[in-house]
Amino acid sequence: MRGAHILKWLLLVWLAVVIVAAFFYVHPAEGFIGESSRIVFFHVPMAWISVLAFLVSCIASVMYLKRRDPKDDIRASVSAGLGLLFAVLATTTGAVFARIMWNAYWNWDPRQTSITILLLIYAAYLALRGAIEDPERRASLSAVYAILAFVTVPFLVFIVPRIYWSLHPDTIINTRGANEFDARYTQVLMASLAGFTGLYVWLYTIGCRIEAIRQRRRQEVL
Amino acid sequence: MTVSRLVTEALAVMAKDLRTEFRTRVALNALGLFALTVLAAVSYTVGPYRITAEDRPFLLAVLLWIVIFFAALAGLDRSFVKEEESHTAPLLRLAASPTAVWLGKLAFNLVLIYLLMAILVPLFCILMGYRIVLVEGFVVLLVVGGFALAVITTIVAAIIARALTRGALFSVLSLPLLLPLLIFLIQGTTGAAEGTSETISNALRAVVSMGGIMTIVSAVLFPVVWSE
Repeated sequence: MRGAHILKWLLLVWLAVVIVAAFFYVHPAEGFIGESSRIVFFHVPMAWISVLAFLVSCIASVMYLKRRDPKDDIRASVSAGLGLLFAVLATTTGAVFARIMWNAYWNWDPRQTSITILLLIYAAYLALRGAIEDPERRASLSAVYAILAFVTVPFLVFIVPRIYWSLHPDTIINTRGANEFDARYTQVLMASLAGFTGLYVWLYTIGCRIEAIRQRRRQEVL
Repeated sequence: MTVSRLVTEALAVMAKDLRTEFRTRVALNALGLFALTVLAAVSYTVGPYRITAEDRPFLLAVLLWIVIFFAALAGLDRSFVKEEESHTAPLLRLAASPTAVWLGKLAFNLVLIYLLMAILVPLFCILMGYRIVLVEGFVVLLVVGGFALAVITTIVAAIIARALTRGALFSVLSLPLLLPLLIFLIQGTTGAAEGTSETISNALRAVVSMGGIMTIVSAVLFPVVWSE
């Protein structure tokens, strides 16, 4: 418990440093209007977390169908809730950036389309959970839906953007990224990615504990 | 279980569904009337001459596939919802294996969707003056697209049949899964109308792989949904 406490404070300091570094340590990147490139340090980690949360949710769903452990269901639902939150944040920051760079908040760029569909999937998943009363049935049916949705995602992320032309800057995890951004950019971005991942892990463990307590109390009432 | 037994069971499930469907025609009416009403509305407001010649291949493809997809969402959940509403699902669980039920229901939905396409697509082309240059490619797109559409809606219908608010949930759950398919099919149909076979083959590859993956995943996951 004590270790977790220290980690929590460390995370706070880490994220504070990342925020300061994002605004003072790096210079605005070339090819971007004004200071708009700084949003990368927050937008990219948010998009990454929304995908990571979805992945965790799917793995937990597969595990649930295999082991039928209610904890896996809790993991899947908590992660989906967090994923929805981060997907909304990524969409909003992306729209702000789009307004500055391309003069429109929304232009149905393939990247915007895929994040919108990810949002729709999360919303549909949570709507399905809300519509089934029996806990076991809810767990297994929503697990099936999460897996079905997961199969759709690669088509959105990899195939749809190839069919349509995109304005979105290349994603960071490719070889050309090094040319567009200098070394300081990469450092801060990686630090931010690590910080946000830590934040996700922290929120996720709290969420799982809260949900477990809630379920236990419900059983005690019954 | 042998393959022949599975096929007989699946065919029996499909025949049963078709027979009960033709008694009430709930799904047929929902699908057909929805499609015809929307087609009438689109044809009345847009008509054959409102859209400029260069925009026609793309915009009419969008309209065509939106009508097909939304008509499918209006009626393809019936096969499973009906079993739950009339409380016949437990008996069906005893009578046939899950895979046979899935195959039978899928076949039933395929019959419905192909029937809808056979009536709607020619009507659409006539009323909107939609000229398709590569007819063979277009027909292949319709067949493959209809199959992928039926596969996805069948498994989602099986899920929502067990939930509380069925009608609204069906579209909500299906649309995110169907959207990539819709994009590919619109792109392919545009190619068919413009006469570029490369666009059709690109779209076909995407639709076939998506339909194929969804078929495999549904076949694996359906027993979980059905026996839960």
